[in-house]
Amino acid sequence: MSMNSGNSDVLLRLEGIHKWFGKVHALQGVDFEVKKGEVVGLVGDNGAGKSTLIKVISGYHRANEGKIFWEDNEVKISSPKDSRALGVETLYQEQALAPHLSIARNVFMGREPSSRLGFMDKKTMNTESMEALASIGLHLRSPDVMVSTLSGGERQGVAIARAIHFEAKLVILDEPTIALSVKEVQEVLDFVRELKGKGISVIFIAHNLYHVYSVADRIVVIAHGQELVNMQTKDTSVDYISKIIVRGTLGEEI
Amino acid sequence: MNNNNKLMGFLVRNRIAGVFAILVAVVVIGTLYSHDNNFIRIANLKNLGTFGPEFGIVAIGVGLLMIAGEFDLSVGSVLAFCSLVFTWTNELSINPFIGLLITLAAGVMTGLINGVITVKGKIVSFITTLGAMMFWRGLTLMLSRGEMQAIHLDSYPLFTHLFTGEWFGFLPAQAVWFLLLVIILTLVLHSQRFGNWIFSTGDNALAARAMAINTDMVKTTTFIIVGVLTAFAAVLQTIRLSAFSSRVGSGWELSAIAAAVVGGTALRGGIGNMIGIFLGALIIIVIENALVLARLPYEWTFMVFGVVILFSLLLDLFIEKRVQRASAI
Repeated sequence: MSMNSGNSDVLLRLEGIHKWFGKVHALQGVDFEVKKGEVVGLVGDNGAGKSTLIKVISGYHRANEGKIFWEDNEVKISSPKDSRALGVETLYQEQALAPHLSIARNVFMGREPSSRLGFMDKKTMNTESMEALASIGLHLRSPDVMVSTLSGGERQGVAIARAIHFEAKLVILDEPTIALSVKEVQEVLDFVRELKGKGISVIFIAHNLYHVYSVADRIVVIAHGQELVNMQTKDTSVDYISKIIVRGTLGEEI
Repeated sequence: MNNNNKLMGFLVRNRIAGVFAILVAVVVIGTLYSHDNNFIRIANLKNLGTFGPEFGIVAIGVGLLMIAGEFDLSVGSVLAFCSLVFTWTNELSINPFIGLLITLAAGVMTGLINGVITVKGKIVSFITTLGAMMFWRGLTLMLSRGEMQAIHLDSYPLFTHLFTGEWFGFLPAQAVWFLLLVIILTLVLHSQRFGNWIFSTGDNALAARAMAINTDMVKTTTFIIVGVLTAFAAVLQTIRLSAFSSRVGSGWELSAIAAAVVGGTALRGGIGNMIGIFLGALIIIVIENALVLARLPYEWTFMVFGVVILFSLLLDLFIEKRVQRASAI
């Protein structure tokens, strides 16, 4: 469970992060890092602190103590804008897409290419949104399709393609496989592999350890606001990890 | 998937076609039930083209706001208030062009108040604007003491011609202004990025905020648009009537919502089309006029509105069901 400091292939590093909500010590001195092009599976039971950690990284919460380093430079993340400016894109389930808008309008939501008078360049929006989807292996017929007509897996694909198109360096996926069919889960896991293939780092949060296992390079277990496990996936097993999560502490079987 | 896209596009285009069909139906029925087919005669159509746009201009604003996910119930009262403001500028012998600007500013103010209270106070717009509806009407009654007041624009023929005259010998100026505003709002809603922000805010405000869209600003701006359009309509109406009456605009807020809904606007926001809202407004205007010409009691108006609204909501449901079946193929 060692950390490499001053290593140029580390994209994001959190050192000694503390977060209090009133009296609740949600994050108790968490060290966390993500390397470039690495997929990190972040797991832990409900209330462990995973969401809080993610929200600190994406700027929704400000850490009370601790340092954040981006590409080895210390940074302050005070708002979602800061986080996005660094290249972090967070995909929450309910926040991702507007169901009755087309793919193109969703992909470019808030970042529509426009003339000086504010007229959208629909041609560019159409071609580039389709290209962004194709680049992660999602081939849909038309950019004018309402996203509510797409499958759950395809919708995740649109959200992920949007993140890539705007040159995210780190994509955080919060429970991306929840409520998806077997086929759709595989689609999403394939998208994650595509992200990795492009050198984009991913933090993948899920309760389903098998899903996490099939794509993560490294597993981090959070319990009671602390990091319990930080191991390469190949050095551990689903069984071991789930025991630790259930127990909430490290046992004898290290 | 290909079949689904074609069907979707077809049905979306057909929703507008559906609204247009309702309009045609209402015009035909109105013509048949009017004495001597008066409805369709040029004189009546011209008449419609002078006062209809007043309501229409308010309705397109209300519809735009509904797409952003909010309601404005105060438009009828703001109409009366702005009419009073314009009348005052006239009493004070202020140049009516300036008077118009002052009135538009009053409209901006009412919209700003609605917007700020709704977004900052986090109060549901239905409630905010309900309060505003009562406030502005009450204020107007109090300041005018419920009396009608005449306006005098004889020394400004250019002004009256520009806003209430006949252009090219036959076209009512109000109709031209209405069409101009419809075109502008259509461009803003469907071709401008601000329009995408309106759709996004109404369809999924969380997603919009996550994508760094300032949904508070979008909503407030849209409330202001409603205020300005209502103020403009108030000026047109006041000039045409040559007077201020404290009772104007009564019931307009509900008719405007009806126009938007008939035009395909979803009550929960995020769905709508400006052409549809425009046609929906025409339908409301035609229904009211047809009922008068058919010499039916005014009370029938609401019943007929109810039928038309229900019918178009059922149409919406039918279309949604068809779409669902298509994606199951």
